[in-house]
Amino acid sequence: MGRDLALIIPEIAVLLTAVGALIAEMLRQPRISLIIAVIGLVVGTGLTLRLLGTDTTVFGGSFRIDTLSIWAKLILLPATVLSMLLARVDVRGSAREGTVYSLLIFSTLGALVLAGAGDTMFLVLGALLTGLATFALVAYPDTDPATEAAMKFFVFASVTTAIMIFGLSYWFGASGSTLIADLPSMDTMPLAVILGFVAVVVGLGYKASLVPFHFWAPDAYEGAPLSIAAYLSVVPKIGALFALTQVVRHLPPETGWAAVMAGLAVLSMTYGYLAALVQDNVIRLLAYSSIAQSGYFLLGILAVGSSELALPSIILFAAAYAAMNLGAFAVAAIAGRTLNDFSGLGRSRPLIAIAMVVFLLSLVGIPPLAGFVGKFLLFAAAIDVQFTWLAVVAIINSALSLAVYLRIVVPMYRGGDSASVELDAWLGFVVFATVAATFIIGLGAQFMIVRDIV
Amino acid sequence: MSAVLLPILPPLIAALAVLILRRGSAALALAGATLSLAGGVRLLAGALDGQAETLLLPGLPDMPLRLVSGPMTALLSVAVATVGTFVLIYAIGYMKRESGQARFYAVMSLFLAAMQALVLAGDWVLFLAAWELIGLCSYLLIGFWFQRPEAANAASRAFLYTRSADLGLYVAIFILIGSSGTSEIAAYLEAGGSASTAAGLLLLLAAMGKSAQVPLQDWLMRAMAGPTPVSALLHSATLVAAGAILLIRSATLLSPEALFAIGLVGGITTVAAGVIALAERDLKRLLAASTASQYGLMLIAVGAGVPTAALLHLLAHAAIKSTLFLAAGDFQHAREGTAFDQLKGVGRARPWAFAGFALAALALAGIPPLSGFFSKDAVIAAALSGQGAAWLGPLALAGTLLTGAYMGRALRVLWQGSGDSRPVEGTGWMRAGIWGLAIPAAGLGLAFGPLETILDLPAPETAGTVAIVLGLVAALVGLALGWLVPVQRLLGPAHQWAESGLEVAGGLTAWIGRPAMAVARGCDRLEDHLYAAALAIGHTALSIARGGERLEQRLYLAVLGVGRANLAVGRWVRSGDERGIDGLIFALVAGVRDLGARARTLQSGLIHHSLAISAVATAVLLAILFSASLSV
Repeated sequence: MGRDLALIIPEIAVLLTAVGALIAEMLRQPRISLIIAVIGLVVGTGLTLRLLGTDTTVFGGSFRIDTLSIWAKLILLPATVLSMLLARVDVRGSAREGTVYSLLIFSTLGALVLAGAGDTMFLVLGALLTGLATFALVAYPDTDPATEAAMKFFVFASVTTAIMIFGLSYWFGASGSTLIADLPSMDTMPLAVILGFVAVVVGLGYKASLVPFHFWAPDAYEGAPLSIAAYLSVVPKIGALFALTQVVRHLPPETGWAAVMAGLAVLSMTYGYLAALVQDNVIRLLAYSSIAQSGYFLLGILAVGSSELALPSIILFAAAYAAMNLGAFAVAAIAGRTLNDFSGLGRSRPLIAIAMVVFLLSLVGIPPLAGFVGKFLLFAAAIDVQFTWLAVVAIINSALSLAVYLRIVVPMYRGGDSASVELDAWLGFVVFATVAATFIIGLGAQFMIVRDIV
Repeated sequence: MSAVLLPILPPLIAALAVLILRRGSAALALAGATLSLAGGVRLLAGALDGQAETLLLPGLPDMPLRLVSGPMTALLSVAVATVGTFVLIYAIGYMKRESGQARFYAVMSLFLAAMQALVLAGDWVLFLAAWELIGLCSYLLIGFWFQRPEAANAASRAFLYTRSADLGLYVAIFILIGSSGTSEIAAYLEAGGSASTAAGLLLLLAAMGKSAQVPLQDWLMRAMAGPTPVSALLHSATLVAAGAILLIRSATLLSPEALFAIGLVGGITTVAAGVIALAERDLKRLLAASTASQYGLMLIAVGAGVPTAALLHLLAHAAIKSTLFLAAGDFQHAREGTAFDQLKGVGRARPWAFAGFALAALALAGIPPLSGFFSKDAVIAAALSGQGAAWLGPLALAGTLLTGAYMGRALRVLWQGSGDSRPVEGTGWMRAGIWGLAIPAAGLGLAFGPLETILDLPAPETAGTVAIVLGLVAALVGLALGWLVPVQRLLGPAHQWAESGLEVAGGLTAWIGRPAMAVARGCDRLEDHLYAAALAIGHTALSIARGGERLEQRLYLAVLGVGRANLAVGRWVRSGDERGIDGLIFALVAGVRDLGARARTLQSGLIHHSLAISAVATAVLLAILFSASLSV
């Protein structure tokens, strides 16, 4: 028991941080709430570093401390800190400011539970924990669009989570165990395996906004405060994708699950970019782009278990994606929500504009930026397991994505003079940090792979 | 820190410093270039002692970025830094009256840093990155006066031409990495055969774009719309030289077929561009055409299998051509233009600049003991003795003859006429830049002997008496013809065609410009179609949704109907005087009606519709997997 608790100290630290932030809010001290939150998450990240290289399970195999869950902490905790700094600009001075920080941390805790899930009940717990906190966050502004978005999000989540629980009950019935590692014992009952797998894909796919379970995402992103949209597009999504990775590790290959993943990947990438091509609202554009990026993750997930490259590619792309997507949303927080707001940004705010170009080029996947390394490894993993056609489709989609992202870049440098934009110091810091991360991940990837750190 | 970084970092830091400080930009840029020169000299000294340094930087998995300092790369690095330093000294005077100094010096410094990275690159990925950077910098510099339409136009044209040829480099590098398994440039091709021929031809394509070889020569003449120091740097040691450097460095990898094609392209270019130069009526455009012609000579040497000769000519040409351009810039300030009509006799008014120009012109023509004499002899000897001598020998000699002729013509225009001039600011700086380069242009030939021994490339055969005599005769005859015979008589009926830049079938505009525009329009149309398709999908979805809404209205009516029925029952029951139940039912009916209305407002979006799609998709997934598992 003592050993188990020692291994989940980072999670405990995150939980205590959330409670601390909530208590500070009850005392009407939102500033202190933010300070507690930031310090707590940084400490949590630090405590995780100690665990690098561990590969074990705790509590009878129901929670895993492995490469995936450790890197989930190293990626998601800093991403949450940056999201909170973004959120501060949105909610500063409003009533219940501290609850936003607290809810963000609870939701992140849910994503961490998902990423380390070794038991189907942890999947449900994580999905509910992230879900409940994020519904409230989307509805926070208390405006009609926000309420409507939160309502849609809620209905969608309820239905898909219900389907997931229904499917998981088949797994439990067939194998007599809720441990994911016991899935192979159901070899004789392929239909039960399939039913449960599809249900898990529905339940986690909605959270990762995979097509065709993505419908809530554009509306929710648009209705929610910008910072919450940035958070939704990164933290719960990565948590869900890591959870999916934990599940498919133990699925027998005969069920053909890899082909289903490939199909969803093609749908998500293609539909996401095509829909993004016609958006005039930058937030909706980024929403569809993040749907497409989810599709890229699936290239690595379908190689899990068969290719050495699968886990490093998923982790590196997750880190890259977190940095560049948060950065792009931060720039949108500075510039504005429509494409028109971006015209002339290259002249009025040259450094911010350059940062945006870096994020977008990284999203396209151009060397030496982080997105390139991530996609490169994902393609390599897919080719490794004989899904060459899928890698080709993904590469074609990357070319298509250039057209999507150029729609933001072109007005920045062509448009007339825009009114000079106010720049909050914290927003500037977030942009700087994410640009730095985009470069460091891009250049340091080789180092990390060679040293076997990911 | 490794010494290999020393030539690259100072100009890079200078570029950043200029951008951030925005003052003292000329001094910062000059300091960067000078330090880069010192770094290059240090590398060369190390290389002479036989220390080849390699620096590995993290890059792609299994393909680290590497910087290599060997005899050849260190020598090129020194050449780049030398030209860069003196051009910057000159630019202090030349750019005195211009606005946008910070932009100019920042981009020039970045240009130098990128070129040093290209020269020292030891792997294809870094080479490619530097290659793209110098393309970008040259675009910014040619378009420095972007307010003038012809400058903006020329910049776009240069970018489009060199970029479309760059595609060759991308594919070639894929082939090279694929067939040798490593991204290192020094690695020899083990596969050989068709892969090495294909890669060679694609590299040639890339080099043709950058080094302005026929038929991609047109952009170089138009690029003269940029500031003159830019032209000097572009033509002597950076952008245009990159193409030749690419071929010189990869010469050992290529198959005989690819080498033959390289030699042939070079031969045709040296003659065609020489004729164009002869017919030009503008000094800077003449020099530009001459650049293409001289790079043609270098390609001949590469094609003949003697890259050392090409390298020597590249070095001599770097000093010579930068001197010529800097002097031309001096004349340009004196007479407000570079057209021959404006320049008549300017040499008498600007004797220092003219002396530098004449020295470099004679060196380019190949008059002993100036540097061009030695390097051109090496090229001619290579062409006469290497493979394909029957083709390459006569072409190289014709190129030499034409070089003499257009230089003779230029000298005559500059010398004959009245010698008046406007006062020129910054003459001291400009004179220092010109003479700093004219001296190596004259004396570099003496260093060629020792240089050949330290380069680890197949040494050129010693120029036989035949090559020396033929080369000298061609140069002298050319000079005499150019000075004495008017160009219209010299070229005869071909004159007009040459004046139009030897355009074939509508020129390159028809070959590259229009296809590029067609592709762009195609993309535009595709996007329109995609948009229309997305709209159509949207409309279909909407109509489905409307159908759903209608269904829902029916349901609502049905609910209402049930409610009314309940009401009727209630009335009926009330008639039985049971008041308590009556009130309860009434409240229930009102509640149902209220709920229905609320549901309707909540359903303003299409969530039932999207959930239905998700459900259908789930069913499809299940069906696919089930059928797959049943069929197994």
